[in-house]
Parts: sequence; structure tokens; C-alpha cells
Amino acid sequence: MIGEALKGHLDLLLLAILAEGPAHGYAVIEALRSRSGGTFELPEGTVYPALHRLENQGLLRSHWSVDSARRKRIYQLTPKGQQTLAKRQEEWKKFSKAINATVGI
Amino acid sequence: MKANRIQAYLHKLRHRLWMHGLADADTLAEVEGHLLESVEAGLSQGLRLEEAEQCALERFGSVKIVVRTFEKERNNNMQKLLLAIAIVIGLLIAYVDSRPTWDDTGITAGTLLLSSGLLTFLGYRRPWLIALAIGLWTPLYETYLSRNFSLPGLILFPLFVLLIACMGAYAGWAARLGIRKTFHMA
Repeated sequence: MIGEALKGHLDLLLLAILAEGPAHGYAVIEALRSRSGGTFELPEGTVYPALHRLENQGLLRSHWSVDSARRKRIYQLTPKGQQTLAKRQEEWKKFSKAINATVGI
Repeated sequence: MKANRIQAYLHKLRHRLWMHGLADADTLAEVEGHLLESVEAGLSQGLRLEEAEQCALERFGSVKIVVRTFEKERNNNMQKLLLAIAIVIGLLIAYVDSRPTWDDTGITAGTLLLSSGLLTFLGYRRPWLIALAIGLWTPLYETYLSRNFSLPGLILFPLFVLLIACMGAYAGWAARLGIRKTFHMA
């Protein structure tokens, strides 16, 4: 149930995590898990297609790091991604406020 | 060592992505790096290698789920472009076929067959939709111009045209699959 609900907001979550700095896919997924206290559990393999899509949309860019023992594809937010994140955060605030008001939280 | 479990998963994933026209070296390298890092994390938490691999694979998701997600997320633009081309080709065929000076059914049928086949060969994943996009317009336009609402006009002719387009589309799709399999096996 949470997994299904999460899919609709995955872009926002990924952008928000990468707003704190460049990271590779594994670190992004770990951050998603740890920040949600384990609530946001998706099959990890399904996060990569979303990262690639965000990159194709110009919201992220990636490069391969060469300074570690293993090659890692590092993602980082583009200026367009930062603008999109700000817009989606604003939308989320309004949405969550409306939901909270409706359900009485 | 049982790193084979990860390698077996990667082999299966590579094959399935490739079958769907989605495999690329960067994606596979990225997945491999993720799985190995996940195994290392498991080992550092005190899991045995087999347990760490099992845990890493379970968390990553089945090949089927991962491929399905990649398929949904990627290549949509190419698919849309091929479908748009199919519609344009279908409209052109319908226009040419409807002209009073045109009476070569063989060329019309051949064009339907070849264009449907070419578009699925180039990578469109739903042969039936390509067949519809190319083959639908000729009978529709024919019916519109002739006002022929008889059984052959309404059912048999469209079925005939769509059958030809389907044959082409599935032949192109099968040829693509065959070539990919052949080169993959080699």
C-alpha cells in the first residue's frame, strides 16, 4: 500500500534527496530508506528507471566517478531540477495541508 | 564463491532488458555496482555471503519487476515517434489508395505489409497497435468516400486490410526478435 502510494511521489523524494548533494543510486536509496525510518521501501531496482527518466527530462545530470574502487554513477540536480523541486515542494505543502484539514489531523 | 548468484541475476536482467531493447552497458554496470555494494553492506552487518546476496537481490526486486519498470519509464519518446510515423503512413496509403487513378491493390497491400513490418522491426513494441495505426485509415476513408455500408465494406475489407498490416507488423517484430536472439546467443 505504501509502496503504491510512494510511486506517485517518487520524483519529489528523489529530487529532495539529491538537493542535499550529488549521490549515486545506492546512496539515494539508502537515504530514502533511512529518512523515512524504513517506511519507504520500494524494490531498489525500480528507483533506477526513475533516476534515468529524471535525467532524460533534464532535472538531473550524471557522471561516473573514477575516484573510488568501484565505478559509480553520480547523480546531481540541475538548475531545472532545483526549480522543479521548489515547485513540487510548494504543491506538496498545499496538498498535504488540504488532506490534513480534511481528515482532521 | 557464490557471487554467482549476483552474476546469474545480472545475466538474466541483461537478457531481459536486451529482449526489450532496453539494455545498455551503463545501466548494467550501475545495477552491478549497486548489488555488490548491497552485498558488502550485508557482509559488514555480519551476514554470511549467501545471506547477503539473497538479501541484496530481494531488496533489489525481481528481474520481471525491474524490467517492467524500465520499460515503462524509458523510450517512450521513440515509441511515440514510431506510432506517429505509422499514423502518417496509414493516412498517406489511404489517400493514395482512394485516388480514382490508382488501381494497383498489390502495391497498396505491399506498402501496408512492408511499412508495418519496418516500424516494428525498428523497435515498436506493440505490433497490433502499429497494424491498427497503419491499416485503419484505408477502409475508413474508403467507406467514407463510397458510402458503402454493406457487410463487405464495413467488415470484410477492414479485416482484410488489418490482416495484411498485422502480418507485416508481427513479421517485423519476429524478425527483430530473431536477430536480437541470434546475435545475443553468438
